[in-house]
Amino acid sequence: MSASCVGRMLLDRCAARSHHPARSAFAVLMLVVAGPSMARAYSDNPPPDGRTIYGQLCARCHGHDGQGVADEGTEPFAGSQTLADLVRVIDETMPEDDPTLCEGDAARSVAQYVYDTFLAAEAEARDTGARIELSRLTVRQYDNTLADLFGTFLGQGKSGDERGLSARYFNSKDFNREKLVTERVDPHVQFNFSEQSPEEGKIGAEEFAIQWQGGLIAEETGDYEFCVTTENGMKLWVNDPRQPLIDAWVASGGTQQHRATVRLLGGRVYPIRLQFFKFKIPTASIQLAWTPPHRAEEIIPPRNLTPDWCPPVYVNTIPFPPDDSSMGYERGTAVSKAWEQAVTSAAIDAANQVVDQLNGLAKTKPDAEDRRQRVEQFCQQFAERALRRPLSDEQRAFYVGQFFQENVPLEQAAKISALLVLQSPRFLYVVLNNEQLDDYDVAARLAFALWDSLPDQPLLEAAKAGRLQSRDEVAAQARRMLGDARTKAKMRYFLHHWLNIEHLESLAKDQERYAEFDAAVASDLRVSLDLMLDDIIWNDTSDFRQLLLADYWFVNQRLAGYYDLQLESGDEWPAQFHKVACDSQQRAGILTHPYLLARFAYHKSSSPIHRGVFMIRSLLGRFLKPPPIAVAPLDEGVDPTLTTRQRVERQTREPTCQTCHGLINSLGFALEHYDAVGKYRALENEQPVDASGSYLDLQQTLTQFNGARQLAEFLAASEETHACFVKQLFHSMAKQPLMAYGPETVSGLQKSFAESGFNMQELLVEIATTSALGTNKE
Amino acid sequence: MVRSNRMRRTRREFMQDLGLSAAATAFIWNLPSLGYAHAQGAKQRVVFVFSPNGVVPDKFWPAEAGEEFTLPEILTPLEPFKNRLLTLHGVCNKVRGDGDSHMRGMSCLLTGIELFPGNVQGGSDTPAGWASGISIDQEIRNFLQQREETRTRFGSLELGVVVPNRADPWTRWVFGGPNKPLPPIDDPYQAFAKMYGRVEDRDSLKTVLDDVQEDLRRVRSVASASDLKLLDEHETFVRVIEQELQEASQQQTSVPAPQLETGVKNTNDNMPKLSRMQVDLLVNSFVCDWARVATLQITNSVGQARMTWLGIEEAHHELSHHPDSNTDSQEKLTKINKWYCEQVAYLVQRLSETPEPDGSGTLLDNTLVIWTNELGKGNSHTLNDIPFVLVGGGLGFRMGRSLKYDRVTHNRLLLTLAHRFGHGIETFGKPQLCEGGELPDLV
Repeated sequence: MSASCVGRMLLDRCAARSHHPARSAFAVLMLVVAGPSMARAYSDNPPPDGRTIYGQLCARCHGHDGQGVADEGTEPFAGSQTLADLVRVIDETMPEDDPTLCEGDAARSVAQYVYDTFLAAEAEARDTGARIELSRLTVRQYDNTLADLFGTFLGQGKSGDERGLSARYFNSKDFNREKLVTERVDPHVQFNFSEQSPEEGKIGAEEFAIQWQGGLIAEETGDYEFCVTTENGMKLWVNDPRQPLIDAWVASGGTQQHRATVRLLGGRVYPIRLQFFKFKIPTASIQLAWTPPHRAEEIIPPRNLTPDWCPPVYVNTIPFPPDDSSMGYERGTAVSKAWEQAVTSAAIDAANQVVDQLNGLAKTKPDAEDRRQRVEQFCQQFAERALRRPLSDEQRAFYVGQFFQENVPLEQAAKISALLVLQSPRFLYVVLNNEQLDDYDVAARLAFALWDSLPDQPLLEAAKAGRLQSRDEVAAQARRMLGDARTKAKMRYFLHHWLNIEHLESLAKDQERYAEFDAAVASDLRVSLDLMLDDIIWNDTSDFRQLLLADYWFVNQRLAGYYDLQLESGDEWPAQFHKVACDSQQRAGILTHPYLLARFAYHKSSSPIHRGVFMIRSLLGRFLKPPPIAVAPLDEGVDPTLTTRQRVERQTREPTCQTCHGLINSLGFALEHYDAVGKYRALENEQPVDASGSYLDLQQTLTQFNGARQLAEFLAASEETHACFVKQLFHSMAKQPLMAYGPETVSGLQKSFAESGFNMQELLVEIATTSALGTNKE
Repeated sequence: MVRSNRMRRTRREFMQDLGLSAAATAFIWNLPSLGYAHAQGAKQRVVFVFSPNGVVPDKFWPAEAGEEFTLPEILTPLEPFKNRLLTLHGVCNKVRGDGDSHMRGMSCLLTGIELFPGNVQGGSDTPAGWASGISIDQEIRNFLQQREETRTRFGSLELGVVVPNRADPWTRWVFGGPNKPLPPIDDPYQAFAKMYGRVEDRDSLKTVLDDVQEDLRRVRSVASASDLKLLDEHETFVRVIEQELQEASQQQTSVPAPQLETGVKNTNDNMPKLSRMQVDLLVNSFVCDWARVATLQITNSVGQARMTWLGIEEAHHELSHHPDSNTDSQEKLTKINKWYCEQVAYLVQRLSETPEPDGSGTLLDNTLVIWTNELGKGNSHTLNDIPFVLVGGGLGFRMGRSLKYDRVTHNRLLLTLAHRFGHGIETFGKPQLCEGGELPDLV
């Protein structure tokens, strides 16, 4: 690896700005010797001052004013790394072709100059320049807002505690009420009646029918493929009581798999109904499976089914361009033609939905005398709800009244009004002015922070009553909103982003080495991790540190078998997950969860580098620039006797590599007890695993640890970890730079987080409140 | 929700028709103007028209064979096109296996292959499911869609007139493959939406875009000064969309959409109107070159049309079971079948008076209309002498004749159709029923 690579891999604390090419253009420290006459080492005492050294050794490549030199491939100095980091990099790697030219005091001196002259100034300018920007709804916010906008008028589903589907068994093929024999709750739909009756003596074996219905709980947003397998007749409705998603009333040619896909938003409940009958076919069987986003096909498990009725949810299906996430979180500070096209198309779809459902939405009937009045009234409510505040008379005329003229059909008037409202900047931007907020702005910001969606009725009422003025009042609302399923969905969305798994579709491993690690195991692992996250966040203590320290897992029989855990249960349902304790020396929270261990690993072997980089960036919040070239890992075949650790050490042993890899490897090595699928190993290649590691923090304090438990204990206690979590959660909720709220906000949030015993629910309330009330300085 | 799912399916079909991915079609409301400008050489089209319950043979089949023949009562509406038609007597649906004659008559008519065993019990025979193969219209469609020079927006159109809202082997004759029945669109407004729906949306959008821009200007006074740049950009993109809309609507005017009478409910009594609306939409699609293959399914196998507008109160299928000796019923069945023939004649007439957009004659010159039925005769449920009346110049058959075959399989006719499109498959449907190859004497 070349020295220039090392220069580009310098550390930076500023994780939030890390991915933006222009802004994170971090100092590329390449010092080049001007010529042979300059070949004099600045290691003597006393060295010249930093400014002189910079002019002689650095300026040619970095520019006299630190602006960078395009031909040399350098960029302006930027970033917020410590002086100590800078000293180390210069000492060890600069100038590029002979790092011995500038060592010791000389390195310290020039580092001080660069830091004071370029970096500190840049950092100050950046921090004082951060502001709360006008932001349109992100894609996630848009989808949820439309769903809740329609939900206001058509009802919103909630899932009770009971799981499974309501089932009705009929002793005839045609769902005749008089032949209804049994009503019960079935935990899932997976039956093989063969040639028998479902209930001997009550239902004939030749001819019968069953209906299952209730709610379907979708956990993540995306396409869900449903698969019904049967040799008999069936129809399946999902989120649409009128039009079946699958119509296979005609059985044909033996057992068939009927498949269809529907898009669902995570964190919501959808109506589902399955009708099934046996007639003229010797046998009967049926199973209802799905393939959720990021997961493998499975029988829909009881935890995703509820026997309660629920209304359909409006799901936008127009694809939007992805949001800018260059700052480490999705935000809506830019518009594009593709976005405008999507907004327009989505508005048309939604307006057509308004027309299609007009009578239900306006609570009227086709022949009602007051239909015109009702429809116009509905359109006003729709506008106020969408725009999130009461309308003035003038606005009411503009958004609604002007379209309701005698010669315009009602449906057309409603459609055009909806089209205007859904393209209005008052709908599309979270709030229009971040300097002066009124109660409705605060309500909107609070709801978008916690739910990525519209304020609900109680919140709007509080705004109307002027009860969103004080911090306590806003915090009380935030606390009320915590229990809502939308908060849980948003928290999960954030955690998946934090843990780098939001886009992870599958985890394939070498089938020779890990023969039994298949798509089903990987899919179960995602569930297992989610269950653990939920369990820690949504209990009374909600202790952040438990995410790193927990000594238990959620496993089903398949995972227990694969990871050699004891699962004592006589489950008839092997896919059921249970909380089981594990050896606390072998497992510690999410770091040792196999889903993440396998995610941060290669096809065949573990990857201390991927694991280390994840910890540095996502847990400790420090910045690593990517290496300038893709470096392939050393092949195992080069020397089969080496352990993974030894291979990585060999490949990164150059001092220039060590600038970053010293930090990366020494974190990653502590997880070397886990192979590419996250199984614990005491030996690798017949050698005992060396899991010793260390971390040099920003204060230059070195901490040493051995193995995952000690590493986790260190991270759980680290202020860097806490600060990183606070910052990332803030960004995910507010979609605005934390620095815009002032340095005292940053330290205040960290302090209150610590004082609450690192209670994540309290942190959600604090962040929601702070971000809802924060304004740009005049 | 309710509608969104249906919309999505429509959109997905729409995109599949266009061969475009979801990402490329975020802005689908301007797609109807997409040109398929690759068409080369003469166009070839085929339209299958279905009517149910068999015919009254001696009022349907010309007594003579050859070029000199008289059209019997039922076929008289086609008199103006007598020199452009062929009657094919003696073509038989010899597919056996599960399902009653109505089911096999319908679901094997275009597929030429057995039904799977299943859970649908007919009036006789064993229960059955769907056809175990693709139908000939879809086979030809797929062949044409694979080639750039014959690819069209939809490839094929599956239309119907008053088809009951249920899916079973009596209501489906088009199959995309084994166990893949394709439903006909029998609501002209739904068909219109498939073809032009986004045009309506664009009109609505156009009326509102000025207000959207006005709205953006108004909020400038509320927004903070530092954020105005974003609102400027937003407004620019709204203007871009407005321009694109205008351009798209200019492109559209070359072929105006048919003006459908509004509010025609999908009921038995409206059949005459509905049938014409569907034909008008079909002809218009050909002018736009949106499809080269079409099916028009009037009612269904065992169809129960009550032709009150002809003074007939009884339902069609019931009448079709009456014995030949019941002269009243035979007269009514003759009237009913003549009415169906009028629908075919209306289609043929529209095609004959509509010029090809490129000036090369009329649509009928390049289109073959095939009128057929699931049974030869209603009261016997025979699958022999299936009605086949062919009109138009589309496949280069020698027209103006009454042909009499000696009990040939209808698979051979289906195979001939594929060959005339240049699709050189060796068999179609059940291979054993293709013995002998193409039907002789057509060209």
